[in-house]
Parts: sequence; C-alpha cells; structure tokens
Amino acid sequence: MIDRTGREVRTDRLGMPVQAENYTASRPPNWQGQLGGCGIASCISLKGERINGDRIARMLTIMEERENGLGAGYACYGLFPDRRDQYCLQFFFDDEEGKRNAENFLDGRLDIVHDEKVFTRDRSTISPPYPIVWRYFANVPGHREWRGDRDLGEEDYMVEMVQHVNEKIPKAFCVSSGKDMAVFKGNGYSYEIAELYDLGRYSGTMWLSHSRFPTNSPAWWAGAHPLSLLDWGVCHNGEITSYGVNRKLVEMNGYKCTVLTDTEVVTYLWDLLVRRNGLPVEVAAFVMAPSTFQEISQMPAAERRLAEWLRITYKEAFLNGPFSIIVGRSQPEIALIALADRKKLRPMIAGLSPDDGVAYCASEESAIRIVEPDARTWAPGAGNPFIAVAGKGVVRKGIEPSFQGVSL
Amino acid sequence: MSETPAMKRLDHRLPERFVPTINYDLCRVCRRCVNDCSYQALEFLESRVVPSGGCVACGRCIAVCPANCIEIRPVPPQFAPHGNWSERSRRSILAQASSGGVLLSSCGADDEHPAIFDDLLLDAAQVTNPSIDPLREPVETVTYLGRRPGKLEVRDGKVMIREDDTPLIRMNMPLMFGHISLGSISYNAQKALFMAAKELNIVAGSGEGGLHPDFYQYADRICSEVASGRFGIKPEYLKGVAAVEIKIGQGAKPGHGGHLPGEKVTTMISETRMIPLGTDALSPYPHHDIYSIEDLAQLISVLKESTEYRLPVGVKIAAVHNVGAIASGLVRAGADFLTVDGYKGGTGAAPRVIRDHAGLPVEVAIAAVDRRLTQEGLRNRVTVCAGGGIRSSADMIKALALGADVVMVSTSALVAMGCRVCQQCHRGLCSWGIATQRDDLTNRLDPNVAAARIVRLFNAWNEELKEVLGAMGIDSVESLVGNRDRLRYRGPNPKIAEVMNVKHIGEGWG
Repeated sequence: MIDRTGREVRTDRLGMPVQAENYTASRPPNWQGQLGGCGIASCISLKGERINGDRIARMLTIMEERENGLGAGYACYGLFPDRRDQYCLQFFFDDEEGKRNAENFLDGRLDIVHDEKVFTRDRSTISPPYPIVWRYFANVPGHREWRGDRDLGEEDYMVEMVQHVNEKIPKAFCVSSGKDMAVFKGNGYSYEIAELYDLGRYSGTMWLSHSRFPTNSPAWWAGAHPLSLLDWGVCHNGEITSYGVNRKLVEMNGYKCTVLTDTEVVTYLWDLLVRRNGLPVEVAAFVMAPSTFQEISQMPAAERRLAEWLRITYKEAFLNGPFSIIVGRSQPEIALIALADRKKLRPMIAGLSPDDGVAYCASEESAIRIVEPDARTWAPGAGNPFIAVAGKGVVRKGIEPSFQGVSL
Repeated sequence: MSETPAMKRLDHRLPERFVPTINYDLCRVCRRCVNDCSYQALEFLESRVVPSGGCVACGRCIAVCPANCIEIRPVPPQFAPHGNWSERSRRSILAQASSGGVLLSSCGADDEHPAIFDDLLLDAAQVTNPSIDPLREPVETVTYLGRRPGKLEVRDGKVMIREDDTPLIRMNMPLMFGHISLGSISYNAQKALFMAAKELNIVAGSGEGGLHPDFYQYADRICSEVASGRFGIKPEYLKGVAAVEIKIGQGAKPGHGGHLPGEKVTTMISETRMIPLGTDALSPYPHHDIYSIEDLAQLISVLKESTEYRLPVGVKIAAVHNVGAIASGLVRAGADFLTVDGYKGGTGAAPRVIRDHAGLPVEVAIAAVDRRLTQEGLRNRVTVCAGGGIRSSADMIKALALGADVVMVSTSALVAMGCRVCQQCHRGLCSWGIATQRDDLTNRLDPNVAAARIVRLFNAWNEELKEVLGAMGIDSVESLVGNRDRLRYRGPNPKIAEVMNVKHIGEGWG
C-alpha cells in the first residue's frame, strides 16, 4: 500500500496500517499519554563485566507479539567507565534550533565537559522525521544557590534542570540524565531501534529494554520507554489504574509531569521514595505493591507495624492495576529491580545464567532462553521485588517474605 | 393592625398538600392510623376514618394499616399556573404573611437543582487493564481517619515510626455517620446509630448534644462534637472517644448556629447537654472564642492538650465559596481531619432561606479542597471527610473519586431506620420516633431493629463499592480517592467539569 505522499504505508504484524504521525522532541499537540501492552527485558552482569548491546536486542526482539512498531527503547548502564562521575545528558532535538535552545539554557547552569553526536544510521525503515540525538557530559557547578539557603542536593538541582528543559524549552527533550548510563529509544519496532542506534557498538554492565503495543497514536519519540530521570530508568508493562492519585503525590513533591504517562509517574516515585525519602528498595517496592491488610494482620508484630504505617503514609504511592516494571539505577551501584503488581496481573520472569554470571528479567521466558538456553528461571511473586546488584549478585529473588533483610 | 381570628383562619388557610385516602371497602376501622398519626391528619368521625387536614406524607398510617387500604395522594396544584410564581413561592409568602417569622424547615435543601453526582459517570476496565471480581479476589476498603505523617524518617536504613504523633482511627469502610445530636433525634435513634457504627466498625458523630452516660459503651466509635454552644462537654465526652471534631458550620445552614426549642429540652436532654430544664438550647453562630484562624488553632491545641494527644482532632465546615483556601487554613491550624458539608446536607431545623440558598454543592467543594490541598503539598497529611446529600453508594463512590477519603452520611442512615424525609423534624412530632422527644413516639423505634437495618444498608453499600472498584481495576479504595481521571461529566454545564477538574464524556486519555 502506498499513502498519499507516495510512501509505503507501515503495517503491523497482521497487515494493519499503522498510522503514526511522528513527533520527536516536541510533545504532540493534545497529547494525553498512551496506553497499551508491552514487552520488557533486561540483563545485568553480576560480575560487573560488560554485555554487548546485541544481546539485549535479541532478548527484546524475540517477543514479537508484544509490539506493533510504535515505540521501543533500550537503556545501558555502566556505559561510560571513563566518565563515570559525570552526568550524561542525552537529548532529542527536533532540529538545530532545538539544539541551540537547549544549549543556551544549559550555558552557565552546567559545566559541560564534552559533547558529541550520538550515532544514528542515516537510513532506516522507520518513518521520518528523526530527531537529532546529542549527548553532553557535564558536572554540576558548585556555586549555585542550591548549595545555600535552598538546601538542595546536586541531584535535586539536576532534576529541576531536566524538568525545566522538558516542560519549557521548545524542540528539545532530555531523555536521560544519569551518571554512567544512557537511553536509546524511538518510534519503531525494537529491531529498528536497535539498528538505528547500532546497539552493537555499545557494551555495558546492565541493559533494560522495552517494546510497546500502544492502542493509540500519535507516536512520540520522547514518550517511548525507558523513561529516565537522573540514573533511574524504568520500563513498564501495564496500566496504572491509580494514575490520578499517584500523579498528585509526585506533583506535591515538585515533579512536573511532562510525558503524561503512568511510567513517568513510576519513575518519579522511585526517585522520591528511594533517593529523597531514603527508603530501602524492598520497602519502596512494598509501598508500591503492598500486601493486603488481611495479610498484614498475620505478619509478626514489627513487620506488621511497619507495613501498616507504610500503607497509611504512602497510600498515594500505591500503584494499583496491572503492571510489571524493570527499574535500573547506577548510583550508588548498578542495580536491577523488577517488580510486578500485587496480584501479578502482568508477566515477569527472572533467570540466572548457569555460571551465576548474568541475571535476567523479562516478560517472557523466550527472551531469556534466546540468549541463555540453559538459564535457571523462576517467577518472582506478586508484589515481590527482584533485586540484582552488579558485583554482588542476586540479592533478592522475589520469592522472600516482604521485609527480609530490612532492619526493623 | 388587627385581624379577627375567624377571618385569619378562613382567608389565609393554605390548601392541603397531601391527603390520606382510605379505601373504605377494605378498611376494618381498627383506628390504628388515627392513633399513630402524630400530626393528627386523620380522625374517627361517626363510623369511619376521615382525613382531617395537615397530612405531611410521613407514611406512618400506610405502614401500620393492617388492611393495606391507605394511600397518600399529593393534592394537584391548587394555584393558577404561573411560570415564575411557583406554588412553592406563593405558599411561602402566604405562610410568612401569617406568621411574620423566619420560615423553618428540615432535612436538606429540597430545591430541584439536580445533584452534580447524577451528572458524573464512572470508568471501568476493559482489555488494557483487567477488572477484578471482589468475590474471588481481595478488594480492600479499610480506611484510616486522622493526620498522616507525609513521609517516614529513615535512619541508617531503618524506617522510624512515631505513631504517638499521629493518632489514627481504623475503619472498615470509607464511611462515617454525620453529627446528629441527642435532642435533634431521640435516644433510641441515636442509640441505633451508635450500635450500627460499632458493628460496622466505622465512626459516628455525637452531634452537639453531649453524650448520654448509656452511650459511653460506644465511645470508641464516637466522634465528639465541640460546637459553639459547648453543650455537654465534660471529661467523659472527650476521653475514651475515637475523635474530637470542632464544628464551625453545617452544610444545611452555613454561618448559622443551632436552636433546640425549650419544649424539647426534657430532663434527659437537660442532663446530657448540661443546661437548665426547658430552656432553649441556643448555639451561637460563631464560636465566641474563634474570630479568626489563629483562634481556631488555639482551640485545636486546647483539645489536643486536654486529650493528651491521643485523639485526632478535626474541624467541620460548611461548603462555602472559598472552601479550598479555608481548608488549607484548617490544616495549617493543626486539624488532623476536615469535614466538608455540602449545601444539600440535612438538618433538624434551619431557616429555609439559608438551607435552600447558601453554600456550595459538596461535589464541587470536594474537588476544590482536594485540589487546593494538593497544590499546597498538604493533601497527604490530612483526612478529608465530606458529605451532604449522599443518597446512594454511587454518590459515595463519586465523592471518593472526587477527592474525599471518608464519606459522611446522615439522612440515609435515618431513612434506613424509618425516616421518610417528610421534612417536619423541626416540629418534634416525628411519627417514626426519630426526630422527636415525645415518649409515646420515641417508643415506636426499636434500636435493635433500627441498628440492624443501618448495618445491612451500609454493608450493602460497601459491597457495591467493592464491585465498582473491581470493575475499575482497582483493588483498594485509597487508589480511588481523588482519582478524578476515572470520572467523566455528562451534565449541562461543562464549566462545572472544568472547575472540578473532571473531563467531559467522550474525552479519553489515549
């Protein structure tokens, strides 16, 4: 089929036309978020070795039924060993003007030590337009007001900066802003995105990935997953039925919702609960997918008290509805967190290579078997986090009692 | 000016509004209807029962008739039709010209403005998220009332809990009974409410009428009201109860006080309220020690201090136009929970002009309070209760989705025990034994039966709440509270949707 402009009409697996008005950095007019199903996959080297991008691409692309060509993405951690302590801000620009807008804004606000074009192939089967993808390595200058009366940390300063760019700077969108990590995403099939960025040229300690099956268009490059803020990267399969409630909590805490998806709010919740409020990861996972009060009533006294107060205090952080998420972070150490909702209405399977060197989490077992045929796999429980840390191993398989290892 | 009594009776008599009509083929002339009609709208004349005027459609006669032969018929319009001069307006003028006083009424505003609740539609889950069957899987409705800490401190990886700072009440459902005082309702009616609250494991308001010693046994489910008259406030009233609530206003009569006529101040009422027998119990319009927000803060402190910080202390306000900003002030003044009472809320007696014309619909008020507290970063520190015209579980669910943590119901609980909403509470003649202090009438109400009916009603509402939550793909009620994304507006005025921050029907999000 040929469309009015003479281009081949994109079709999905079943031959249905995929009408994708395509937006890159700028938010599509009347954008109201997206919903639909997804495939997610991730791997982490427990020994801190480097995994090539081809491996994660193979994991993700095998789950063909989970995408329809309207968005896919990858995040790599442990990507810049030589620039480990610098923030890597990776941008989408609609055009050169967007780049100038962003650079004018960043000028004086960040110490940019190096910048480069992110490699993308000139030709692809993805419908144009493509964004300009650019990367800046930066340090946060030490003289800003946040060090004084506002009592902000360096990360808070960075969050404000990134959110300002995404909300206010025309034609520019900062897709990732963490240390030692970067996000590669766009509007296409998972294999197209892998080809476009030539993922094989990158190796890192940990990879997250996401492909999507949205039930609506238009398509927005910046709205694809992983969504990222600081070093947090989140890939999410699900639909949060409590979105309005969760959004209130993050907005009350100063986050600006620019992508308008539940995944964005999940990203901010991790930042709020773990980085800012200091909750241990297991505890934050409980907050998002808590046990029922019936189950809590049967816990030992100390656990029960903690569980009750977490539910009371953080009831707006409870993620209701079906979800499975994969979360990555690079600070203080590279870690992979996987969590499904408390009824486990979306799939999540974990695996470990025979030599215990690499851990995996994915929507489907096929994603693990394609790269590790002899992996040992298991299903983390409903609302039970899986946690793996580079250099330490799998610290939580997702089948333990809620607060195991948490000091009470 | 002088009028002869005879002239007054004849010239200014108003036409009847209802007539009890008896099917004499079936009537057994048992005269129960005559005996039970506290409004004396039926009489036995010669050999049969005939209407004698003044019927209010309370329905008592229908209920007690063993032959099932009575029907109350509304009298068709007796006034020449006029588009502007409704029958209601002309009746009011005639009545007021006779009495020369403020027209009183009771129950909530009875004007025909449709509730905004009826203009809201709920969302449900389809395909992209699964719905949940509450009979197969847990769907939770446990709700806490009180101040919340906002966040928990973490020290060396240990989460610190300081529960003494934030006393909270746990309830089985997001529901509380509003404040209906002993005095406005009978001993038996209040007892039934307290028994039901205990059985349902929710909270019931005491109203501003003190607490009868017989009811101390329900104290752990009672929220004691401190209103401008300070009636019945003694150590037992504040200790051992679940919560204390300062009443600033009431939805049915914002800016107004309370008035219990002296004839209702029986020995029991006088002892419970600690006022002289037979005197009018007048609650001032404002609290005479609260003329500004800092005065309120002081009273909150006094109550917290005197209850040793063991109880949540809340503040109830009528929904008025600036309700968002006032709510923010209440939280900053130290209120652990707020109650917002909409203009359709009930009352035992109120000037009709205020009842029908002042205040704000509770739907708009909830959305305004929720939004304002969110903007100011306070929403996750307080519990917001709201009520005023909640007629069904659907109203309750929509109130939750608009942003209330707890929904307050009163009239519906009274209806469960027999009330027919005939709006005569202020006359003290309630034929169902609810809004009266006359012993012969109050004895008609069996508190055990009434309590059981209330329990059944609200257990059923809670089941319906679970059904709706499940259909929405939500398995715990806190994920519905303030989730206005799951509502759509279909009413006549999209501006209402805009101020409530609710999308119009047809607007999706994807």
